[in-house]
Amino acid sequence: MAPLDRRRLTRRQFALLGTQVAGATVAVLLGIPIIGFLISPLFRRQAVAEATVGDIADVGNRQPKKYVVEFPAGDWSSAKVKAAVYVVKLDDQTKVFSNTCTHMQCPVHWDASLNQFLCPCHGGLYAIDGSNVGGPPPKPLPEYVHRFDGTTLFVENRFTESL
Amino acid sequence: MIRERLATAYNWFDERTAVRSLTRKGLYEAVPVRGAWFYTLGSATLILILLQLVTGIFLTMLYVPSVTEAWASLEYLKQHDAFGSIVRGIHLWSAYVLLFVIGLHMVRTFFSGSYKRPRELNWVTGVGLFVLVLGMAITGAFLPWDQAAYWTAVVVTNIPAYTPFIGSFIRALWRGGDFVGPITLVRTFGIHVWLIPAVLFPLIGAHLALLRKHGEHGSYINYRGAYRAREGVDVPPPPKQRPIEPPYPAVPSEEVWAAPLETEDFYPYQTFKDGLVSALLVVVVFILAVAIGAPLEAIADPSTTNYTPVPEWFYLPLDQLLVLVPQQLIPLILVLPAGGVVLMLLLPFIDRGPERNPFERPAVMVPGAFAVLFVVILTLLGSGRLFNQ
Repeated sequence: MAPLDRRRLTRRQFALLGTQVAGATVAVLLGIPIIGFLISPLFRRQAVAEATVGDIADVGNRQPKKYVVEFPAGDWSSAKVKAAVYVVKLDDQTKVFSNTCTHMQCPVHWDASLNQFLCPCHGGLYAIDGSNVGGPPPKPLPEYVHRFDGTTLFVENRFTESL
Repeated sequence: MIRERLATAYNWFDERTAVRSLTRKGLYEAVPVRGAWFYTLGSATLILILLQLVTGIFLTMLYVPSVTEAWASLEYLKQHDAFGSIVRGIHLWSAYVLLFVIGLHMVRTFFSGSYKRPRELNWVTGVGLFVLVLGMAITGAFLPWDQAAYWTAVVVTNIPAYTPFIGSFIRALWRGGDFVGPITLVRTFGIHVWLIPAVLFPLIGAHLALLRKHGEHGSYINYRGAYRAREGVDVPPPPKQRPIEPPYPAVPSEEVWAAPLETEDFYPYQTFKDGLVSALLVVVVFILAVAIGAPLEAIADPSTTNYTPVPEWFYLPLDQLLVLVPQQLIPLILVLPAGGVVLMLLLPFIDRGPERNPFERPAVMVPGAFAVLFVVILTLLGSGRLFNQ
């Protein structure tokens, strides 16, 4: 082999470099669109949808009542997803809770005998005002973004605080 | 005449493909007589994975990976397609049996010290395969899109959200958004049928190639009572020499623990045992698939307030951690399993001495036994939830 000249590429070095450049080109050209589409949902805002819960005039004070609404599943899908809405009247204020546990997002339900919201998965407990009173959940029960028209309640498919 | 013709054709083919020597190499390796029944666990794992592959391929002709159709396509099987239901049942039950058998295979390897030099990478690829099989099990559990599947998807995709800093990013990447929805199902389907298998099957190839390179005699079982690998002990008698034909590639790659005392041909002696155990397991899987089948609950309903999600039994220990770990320590549910996998990967580099006798290796056997015990206790603590709906 000829002595290595650091200032000039040998034929072998040139071929080696060329092979690596060819491989890198393929990897980059494939990688950009694949990674791009995989992470694209992270940068898309979910389309906000509103659903009518109905007239909540008959909800008793401190007696949570469950309603079910439907939202579009989102993105390209024609599916509808059902969502549970717990309407809770606490004297002068009204809270509109989701059934989503803040621990692992299991379906929370109102347990009248406990007078608490209970998550059946890992035993999370929330008071009637949604605050944490037991178990592993790190945050209070999520509340829907909502509005009233008289006593008619409308909810959006998002929470006041992201989970 | 015909026989001669066939022989000529075979010679022609052999000249171009070397099929004859390949077959010999594949079938007539010397395998130890002792421990041969324990070694059927590896081949049973392989057979059960292949069962997954075959039934999985055909399930893609029965199943539609869409939130509007997935459940309906399986409900249709239940109503109108008994054979399709059996295919689905085999897929489910062989997955359950596979998880059990791969665990036994791993425990056997651990206790018999087979992961030691030069077989460290057999163990490392095996740990990789174990993790990938768990990944297959968990992604497969999402797909029926019934209540069990949906809530499994919700909880499991939420676990990585507790990774510090990038948690919600990982969750959104898997879910394809903030919530479990149509994209979650398509992505998980893609991961289950292509992404993981595309890594899993080449890794099986590597695992088997390494096995063949070093020979099937890394385990203490082969040598039990015959030899101890401690200083000052006489070198064991050389392995019984076999005739040159068929060629045995069992090259001693280590001075001690070179080769077992007694060997026989892989084919047909080991294949007989392998075949017997595998066939027995397949029969059991078939009976379970027909008698019990794969359950399908009501269609996924995020608005439910009377459904109690029950974890799949194979991640019950992890789910039990979710119950036990208080809110301030939730990242532990990631640290413990991840740490467990890292320790498993490091095992052959921690336990490097030549000693393979489990009773002479308390430094790894005792912590290992405690780790197994820990998982068993978590499972028992959570087991009430499997039956108590």
